[in-house]
Amino acid sequence: MAANMTREYSMTITLEELAFRLNDHTTDEGTSFDALLLENGVLEVVCSNNDEFPIHLALTETQLLAVTPLFNVAEVVAGEVDNLNKMLLQLAPAVPLSAFGLQDDTYILFGAIALGTHFEIIVHELEIQAENTIDVLDAIQSLLA
Amino acid sequence: MSILKDIFTAIRGGASEAGEAIVDANAIRILEQEVRDAETAIAKAKQSLTRLKGSEIKLKREINSLNRDYDDYEAKAIEALNAGQESLAEEVAERLEEIAAERDDKVAEHSSLESEVNAINKLVRSREKIIQKNKRDLEKVKTIKEVQKATTSISDNVAATSSSQHRVSKALDRVKAKQQNWRDNMEAGEWMDKQEQGDDLDARLKQGGIGGSAGSNKSSILEKLKAKQKAG
Repeated sequence: MAANMTREYSMTITLEELAFRLNDHTTDEGTSFDALLLENGVLEVVCSNNDEFPIHLALTETQLLAVTPLFNVAEVVAGEVDNLNKMLLQLAPAVPLSAFGLQDDTYILFGAIALGTHFEIIVHELEIQAENTIDVLDAIQSLLA
Repeated sequence: MSILKDIFTAIRGGASEAGEAIVDANAIRILEQEVRDAETAIAKAKQSLTRLKGSEIKLKREINSLNRDYDDYEAKAIEALNAGQESLAEEVAERLEEIAAERDDKVAEHSSLESEVNAINKLVRSREKIIQKNKRDLEKVKTIKEVQKATTSISDNVAATSSSQHRVSKALDRVKAKQQNWRDNMEAGEWMDKQEQGDDLDARLKQGGIGGSAGSNKSSILEKLKAKQKAG
């Protein structure tokens, strides 16, 4: 009984399953998806509304993580990194569903979706993240080399 | 120490640079061990609870039965008094005293059992808290690890092309151009739809004899030419 109680986080979707469904889906807004499971177990998703910046999906015990790498620190205009960081912190509240992050030297846009979330909502979140990626990059373009 | 602080220290120390595990594997093992220990403690506590609950039900039943006996003998004592049998009533009173004493013992036992049950429930709750806290911490570690994995697999692709200048800007321009193109196509589609609807309307007007026909235009031009000829 105790074992059941603590195993409350059941995995409700696998990345394979998600890939299969995404490849077969088109949203009301006409966005389609190209999902490919990579060798390291990460699911690469290219949304047709933004095919230049793919979203990478990974699973933990409780959530589906959506990571879009944006650019490398080396791609920021020399001497503007501090400005950029401040700008990103200030922009962050405007995109509450996607957060900015820094993974090693790579700036990322990421979101987390609870496992067990309805497929249509996952799809919508991906669509939004792809859109947000364009908006964010567009906003900070002048600081990129 | 909180895991977030561990992560902070690790990043500060540049641990993730080389793709090493961001949090000491030992810290993770400790968290996992604590979860297992807490789960074992909860399982044991639940067994005790089941046993205690059994005793509690039994005691409750015994207390109820003693209460019934008491009421029963009390009625009989009054009956004996009414019948003038004083000594018999006295004997019944002694029995009543015994029953009351036994019942009070059981009630005391029952209430100590209750506080034991409460203590165990409290222990279960505190263990569950540990499990939840540790699971959240483990989830943070796992998240960091997965984000690292998800980023790295793209960074390799990025690295291959990042030598080119303005990589991001160029990609951004391409995406924006595609989106513009898509919007233009949409607009064109809408324009086309309107045109088709318009053509349809003209055709229907013509059919209804509204707006004139090519034939009547020709004849009206001929009329004008003839008029000019006369004037000339």
